[in-house]
Amino acid sequence: MQPQVAGSATETSITGGVGKATSRTRRSNGRGWSYNLTSWLGLVPFLLFCLLFEVLPAIIIIQGSFTENNTGKFTLNNFQRMLSLPSNVHAFGTSLSISIVTALIGGIVGGIAAYGVYALRISWLRNFLIGFSSIAANFAGVPLAFAFVATLGVTGFVTVAIHNLFHVDLYGVGFSLYQFWGLVIVYVYFQLPLMILVTLPALNALRPEWHEAATNLGASNFTYWRRVALPILLPSLIAATMLLFANAFGAYATAVALAQDSINLVPILISYVVNGNVTVDFGLGNALAVGMIVLLLIALSLYTAMLRRVNVWQGR
Amino acid sequence: MQTGSSNIAGRAIADEYTRPKGKDRSRRGGFGLDRVAVIVVMLYLLIPLGATLVFGLGGGGGISTFQRIFSDADFSQTLLTSLELAIGTTLLAIVLVTPTAYWVQLRLPRARPLLDFLTLIPFAVPAIVLSVGFLEEFSGTSGPLINTLSLGLVPFMSNTLNIINTGPLLVCAYVIIALPFVYRPIDNSLRAINTTVLTEAAYSLGSGWWRAFLTIILPNIWPGVISAALLVFSTVMGEFTIASLFNIYTFPIYLNDTGQNDPYKAALLSFLSFILTLLCVLGIILLVRGRRGGSAQQGSQVDIAGAR
Repeated sequence: MQPQVAGSATETSITGGVGKATSRTRRSNGRGWSYNLTSWLGLVPFLLFCLLFEVLPAIIIIQGSFTENNTGKFTLNNFQRMLSLPSNVHAFGTSLSISIVTALIGGIVGGIAAYGVYALRISWLRNFLIGFSSIAANFAGVPLAFAFVATLGVTGFVTVAIHNLFHVDLYGVGFSLYQFWGLVIVYVYFQLPLMILVTLPALNALRPEWHEAATNLGASNFTYWRRVALPILLPSLIAATMLLFANAFGAYATAVALAQDSINLVPILISYVVNGNVTVDFGLGNALAVGMIVLLLIALSLYTAMLRRVNVWQGR
Repeated sequence: MQTGSSNIAGRAIADEYTRPKGKDRSRRGGFGLDRVAVIVVMLYLLIPLGATLVFGLGGGGGISTFQRIFSDADFSQTLLTSLELAIGTTLLAIVLVTPTAYWVQLRLPRARPLLDFLTLIPFAVPAIVLSVGFLEEFSGTSGPLINTLSLGLVPFMSNTLNIINTGPLLVCAYVIIALPFVYRPIDNSLRAINTTVLTEAAYSLGSGWWRAFLTIILPNIWPGVISAALLVFSTVMGEFTIASLFNIYTFPIYLNDTGQNDPYKAALLSFLSFILTLLCVLGIILLVRGRRGGSAQQGSQVDIAGAR
């Protein structure tokens, strides 16, 4: 019985191998197409779903940004209107600066903290910190906004505590949670744990041998970091910062719940333009959306370019 | 539940818990700055949580605020809506992505770049942009280009099924948002096992494709599937952006409406949201950890989901 099973298994694996080999040679002639076709058929449900709900919405937005609202003719008018109104340009400026500032704070502080987590010798504590980062990175949007209202709002817990302990009135000295820097504080809350999660794998790829080799050649700890570790890590760190940028740039719910009327961001502007109480202007909304897509594509192509470098270096 | 965490966060978390692990490495003590950074970051993450609970309980009459929340009809109704959407999205996303990822791994490795590309698009098309695209696509006024490209499905869905601003369409949008952190953990798990050998072994013992998939492959990639499912669930429970543009009254929208008037109630609701996120991520950690035994030492990774 046993030899029989083993025999049949080998047989199949051999025929399997042969089948693969023949299918490879067949690709040049007609029958290879049928093999390919059945393979692609298995992807049809997924590809159809992506076409309908992912690719077509994007195409519609791009097409719509070049189309006049009423006539349906080709036009650059939507982009002209977008760029001629100072509040639109201002919204892009604010969105960009908030994304860059929070990506940099998150990238630098989170990057150092990631190393701290990586260097921890106590494994349960490390796992706890990673787990907690996962939770915090997922805690965003409306609940996060109200958590910060409860913390740093006018009557928030920390605001009151600082007033009682140090006799400093935060709102009296010009701080406001509902302005630019308040939003920065809230965004950093989800950027920091995200940076830790994204950077840890890159740190795990650092080989202890490299440090030993550098030390053997007379390098100090500082030299090792400056000449070996940081250059190797830099692409990963830049890639992670690009992700943080994209993360903040697309954020909508947090900003709406916290400061809908007092801060001018592109996502908020889009929702006003297409869902406004007074007028609906899909042409302008599409142009704004295309502006967002272009900026995000730049960040993401930097991200993938950096990842490719990481792969070269770390042989992944 | 985050009210909309970003799919970027979701993918990072899924990765953390499902990526194949390398060998452990020895570590040296740092120069102190890194420890300080860890402590600062953890305080930054913990203080708002504690403050929210204290603020919520202290300001509006303590525990009775909870009673006010639970007796609110809108609370239970919106929570139910969000639960239905979350369960629907989770099921659809898993059913759509898992067989596809397996199929690509087994039969069509050449399609992998295409899948990587399709699951990266949601990073470049944020939720607010996607929902605008949906509103235009399914408003019933789509042009000939879209009608042709969609093989006539768009006019059928928007005119005959009248799908715009309905729950099913919202679920479809959520599946797209969730793609980056559904595909990655499942793909990671598939790569970690020897898919081809397992499948050939199953074939040789007389099993068909579906049977091999359901009884051999699925149990082996269960941790990845569970991670993906919990991340989707947590994200949809908190998603605000698309629901608000679709005018569907979900829990995060209720939370936003409430919070603009009653910060104490909002604080407690936010804390409840946090507990739900906590449970989902804990579920990932415990289930995935349990499966991995000793090798889980390096920590697991969850993709970063979420609606921001």
